[in-house]
Amino acid sequence: MHRLYVLPTLIINVAIIAIPALVTVMLAFFEWDGISDPLFVGLDNFRALWDDSVFWTALTNNIIWTVIFLIVPIAMGLLAATMMLVARRSSSFFQVIYFLPVIIATAITGRVWQGMIYSPVTGVTGLLQRYGMDIANPLTETSTALYGIAVVDLWHWWGFLCVIFFAALRQVPSEQIEAARVEGASFFQTMRYVLLPGIMPTITLMMIMTVIWSFLVFDFVYILTQGGPAYSSEVLSTFAYRSAFYDLAVGKAAAISVVISLFGLAATVLYIRVQAKEFDQ
Amino acid sequence: MKTSRFAITTAVLLGAAQGALAQEPVSWWYELATPEQQKLIQQHIIEPFNKANADYALTVDYRGSELDKQLRVAMLSGNGPDVVYTAGPSYVAPMAQSGQLLALDDYATKFKWQERILPVFLKMGEYNGKLYALPKTYETVGLFYNKTLFEKNSWQAPKTLDELEKVADSMLEAGVTPFAAGNADWRGANEWFVTLALNAVAGPDNVNKALRGELPWTSEPFVQSIDRLNGWWKKGYFGKNYFSLTSAEQTADMMASGRAGMMPTGTWQFQNVASYSKKAGSEAGFVGFPSASGDPVFPLGIGSTFSIASRTKNPDGAAAVINYVFSPEVYGSMNSAWQGEWNIPLKDLSSVQMGSDVTPLFTETMKNLSSAVSAGNYGYTTWTFLPPATDSYLINGIEEVWLGKISTADFLTKLDASFQKELKAKKVPAIPAR
Repeated sequence: MHRLYVLPTLIINVAIIAIPALVTVMLAFFEWDGISDPLFVGLDNFRALWDDSVFWTALTNNIIWTVIFLIVPIAMGLLAATMMLVARRSSSFFQVIYFLPVIIATAITGRVWQGMIYSPVTGVTGLLQRYGMDIANPLTETSTALYGIAVVDLWHWWGFLCVIFFAALRQVPSEQIEAARVEGASFFQTMRYVLLPGIMPTITLMMIMTVIWSFLVFDFVYILTQGGPAYSSEVLSTFAYRSAFYDLAVGKAAAISVVISLFGLAATVLYIRVQAKEFDQ
Repeated sequence: MKTSRFAITTAVLLGAAQGALAQEPVSWWYELATPEQQKLIQQHIIEPFNKANADYALTVDYRGSELDKQLRVAMLSGNGPDVVYTAGPSYVAPMAQSGQLLALDDYATKFKWQERILPVFLKMGEYNGKLYALPKTYETVGLFYNKTLFEKNSWQAPKTLDELEKVADSMLEAGVTPFAAGNADWRGANEWFVTLALNAVAGPDNVNKALRGELPWTSEPFVQSIDRLNGWWKKGYFGKNYFSLTSAEQTADMMASGRAGMMPTGTWQFQNVASYSKKAGSEAGFVGFPSASGDPVFPLGIGSTFSIASRTKNPDGAAAVINYVFSPEVYGSMNSAWQGEWNIPLKDLSSVQMGSDVTPLFTETMKNLSSAVSAGNYGYTTWTFLPPATDSYLINGIEEVWLGKISTADFLTKLDASFQKELKAKKVPAIPAR
């Protein structure tokens, strides 16, 4: 009887996750415009992706994005969380300040950066240009567009990691920190041998989630550049969106989604293995 | 006394309820509209329609910029609105192909649409010889210019492409950006310039042949078109902030203030041009886009179309709504208050009454466009006549040409490959004969 308690969750999962996921995988083998009858084409959609330079640009951009987000916000979050651990008096205030960008809707954050920071007409860039500085809007150059978007997402995101790491650091037994101090460990030694090992499971989880989230990135890219200029900031999800809703190539979009899922799946498998290892220990 | 009052009230309420029940609902999903624009639709379409058609109750549901996606999903599941409002003829073909739309030929006869609507637009709504859609509005892209700035510098409004380049070069020398243009809010703005280049350089006849599949997009006239457009980009005609400026308001402000001299854009910009020119104290002019021969080019575009869902329970009500929109009253009231967006393709505009605040420039341009279309002297906008994937590639691929990532030949080869594939799949909208 108690097994029936699982039923509501199971129904929800099957209806909103399993069935759409299966349909997406199936559609990857069809040519479909979203209106007429789908036509089975085997692996043609995947072959077309292999030959499409935009797909490789998008995949490369996703990898660059993942590397950036595995390093910069995690380093910033760890540093700020440690600082708050040292100077506890103002930690609540700083937690609120750092966390504030996380709760602002991404569309608003995107528009604010686009209009008030990057715009040469209404933003800080324009102001600096008027003072004679040769600064271009990073979103308009093919070499900088992706990084311009990444800066906005970093500003929005790193505070979340900081608060998570701070919460984890506070769980490290104070006896261990005290013992390190008594033994004469410096701040960096305490970090290296006590604090970081103490919160390593949290860091690992955040890194694996970062890989998954990085392959799902869509909102800031779509709001700020829609993948342009000249596909320079295209990522897999914007490529899939454009294929489905502008090119009316739903099968191709499904094939791109399958590729995105494969990266997410790899990260999930890694996470499960890491977790299993921890349980064994 | 109390009893009789109760009886009267009950009778009135029952009567009203019965009246409401007798009315058949007609639903229409509309795209993005501001509260002011929604008010205009309420005042000039919904209320007068419901008053004039006691049998029907029209409701308009505003679905925002995601209308197209919502409509496709709803139509697939058979739950769409009665009046199907698509983003253009390229969306009509696949819907008609899959049996989601009702053929309108009987209603065309009943309401005498052949006599009232410009024939070219009826042709564009056809699929497999049957009428499936009527265009709500037609538009063109041309050249706005700052008349005050031109007079001050003794520049003449250009008629040929050579004259256009001469004026633009003079502007660059004077520190004025030749073209007020931007795509920060709407990347589709890219195709306005491709449309102009294709029609002005290659010419409408060649574009017509290419759209029919009789001439590949890789042929010489189109190579010349894209090369010339790219030349304008390289010379800096589009300014250095193209990717940062919004396509409507910031560009209109730029031209009105004299920071830019000209603005190649569509008739939908009339309202912004009027308000920003007033603010800047300048006067604006509009000419058909210059061409190699000197004859102005009017590429024809359709913003959106009306159809009827095949699964509707009230086809007559939906047809009555469409028929009501195609009236001189709606043309006059909506096109005056919401200029350029309700340029309904009526044959006879003699009984149309425009508002007093409509600029003569707008009225004159629309008259010229109507005459050009009637005489068959028009070009082709890419967003109306190209199938979806080809159009999407054109918008994104041209940026690669401008930014030196691919050559004109590479761009046209990919464009042609996409077009031939869609042509084979019958995704190309109907192309009226010239």
